[in-house]
Amino acid sequence: MDTLLQNLINGALTGCVYALIALGLSLIFGVMNVVNFAHGDFVMLSMYLTFWIGLGIGMDAVFTPVLTAPALFLIGLLAYYVLIDRTLRQRYVTQIAVTVGLMIFLRALTQLVWKAQPRALPYSIIQGNIQIGPYTILASRLVSAIVSILAILGVSLFLSRTWAGRAIRAASDDLDAAALNGVPYRQTYALAFGLGSALTAIAGGLLMTFQQVDPTMGLRFGLLSWCVLAMAGLGSIPGLLISGIMVGAAEAAGMSLWDPRARSLVVYVLFILILWLRPRGLFGRK
Amino acid sequence: MRRTRKDLNRSLLVVLLALVILAPLAIRSNQYTLVLFTTVLLYGVLATAWNIIGGLAGQLDLAAGAYLGLGAFTTGTLLIRWNVSPWLGMVLGGLIAVLFALLVGYPLFRFGVKEVWYALSSAALVEVMRVAFLIWSQVGGPVERYLPYHEWSLYHLRFATYLPFYYIMLGMLILGLLVNRQIRRSRLGYYLMALGENEEAAEVLGVNTQGCKLQALAIYAFLVGMAGGVYACMYGFIHPNFFSGSMSTEVAILGIVGGMGFTYGPVMAAVVLVSMREFLRARLGGQLEGLYLVVYSVVLIAVALFRPQGIAPLVRQAYDRFLAWAAKE
Repeated sequence: MDTLLQNLINGALTGCVYALIALGLSLIFGVMNVVNFAHGDFVMLSMYLTFWIGLGIGMDAVFTPVLTAPALFLIGLLAYYVLIDRTLRQRYVTQIAVTVGLMIFLRALTQLVWKAQPRALPYSIIQGNIQIGPYTILASRLVSAIVSILAILGVSLFLSRTWAGRAIRAASDDLDAAALNGVPYRQTYALAFGLGSALTAIAGGLLMTFQQVDPTMGLRFGLLSWCVLAMAGLGSIPGLLISGIMVGAAEAAGMSLWDPRARSLVVYVLFILILWLRPRGLFGRK
Repeated sequence: MRRTRKDLNRSLLVVLLALVILAPLAIRSNQYTLVLFTTVLLYGVLATAWNIIGGLAGQLDLAAGAYLGLGAFTTGTLLIRWNVSPWLGMVLGGLIAVLFALLVGYPLFRFGVKEVWYALSSAALVEVMRVAFLIWSQVGGPVERYLPYHEWSLYHLRFATYLPFYYIMLGMLILGLLVNRQIRRSRLGYYLMALGENEEAAEVLGVNTQGCKLQALAIYAFLVGMAGGVYACMYGFIHPNFFSGSMSTEVAILGIVGGMGFTYGPVMAAVVLVSMREFLRARLGGQLEGLYLVVYSVVLIAVALFRPQGIAPLVRQAYDRFLAWAAKE
């Protein structure tokens, strides 16, 4: 029983990172209604960049987002202006085809550069355990959760306090009204896409402190973040956090109660059930 | 004029058919090329089947791998355990795929899951099946299960050459195309096209959209499940990785790039893109892993961006021009 609870706690902490990834996705999907199938592969790319920087200049994975977040922001802008901007007026099927193409591209590119075998960083300053009562909590998970929550708070402050953030929210509520009030929609969209991608860099750095990366990982993170988003519904940042925690805990429960391989199975079944029963999510605003 | 056009169509079809029937005889000694041709046909079958749910009904299904795997596992398991002929096995596999599709599809359509959420839930389904079969060690498990080896056995559908599989796949492709054409001309086809265009409007006009979508899903699942049975016999083993997410996405991509709703579009896309991919793999794969996929994905993106209607309308235009020219001669 104690091990189960301990696994659930660690899973819930990892879930905070999932919430961060899903927040990026919800900026992209919620604001411009663009279906980005490549979001998980941005996470995968960030993890590889973290690995590369960590090995190259010996920077600890926790600090790499200082470099990778601006890089991912630029990559996001590039992806927006080169690909997404042209698909805005197309059917959603075309959007999906383009972002799936981007997904295959990113996957193949990482495979080309870093080969197919899994990569991991040898150490991080946040290794070790923290003992709280009978429970052993992994320090890496705890720090990841704290940093993720801080990042989520930061984004929600940005969305509510700055002009650009308000522009993003206005565009997501009603694009035409926002445009009439002088919100430049292309820049707003590009900003949202860049920001959404930059958030995956923070998540990627955190994830690399406790796990390895391989090129096929994108699909898992992609579906995972869609699952969190489906559960939360659009427009509620606390909802995202709670959903992320629930998904992380569900993963852990599946792993410790049933089979280590059942981790993704539990999440996906949960995802499908949520779509059936609560298509607007548990905390949706619209 | 109208008569000549029909005649020309027919004679062109005969020439094309003769070509694809005779082509493997010319290269029968080269197993690699045969595998390549058969793979192109397989993707052609899958994308043609997808066209019913994706192209006509407009539901972006990404679960082809789930139905393919179910067909493969049914056929393979029946053959390994009880020596049931794959000819029967693949029909049963198709039926099991249909059953599964209905079980999953009914609540999906009932609760109005559509567009991107339908796509995502079907993508998740493939992963669910893969992991489930990985864990279910009586039937699946992490180790390949080999089908019994036979030099040449029609009963076991096992051959030392790929030649028979080429013809079986060709037969399935023709079946798939005929089904597509038949549906397009039927009441169901018009309903599907209407709801693919605008679901609310179709519903207001009295189309039973749920029922139509379920029918389309079932037909698609049956064809893919059957192809899965042949797939298992062709490769000689079954493995949970047959529930492949990337294959499912690729099938949908072929359907989109080919031109949604055009009967022959998906096959054309399969011929062009799959053979290009395999050619690139053979050419570049040896030196740099992944390079062929980089090129492939760039082509995909380019087609999706600049030809959002797909390549079928282009081919049709070219064909019309050819006909006009031929009529003049």
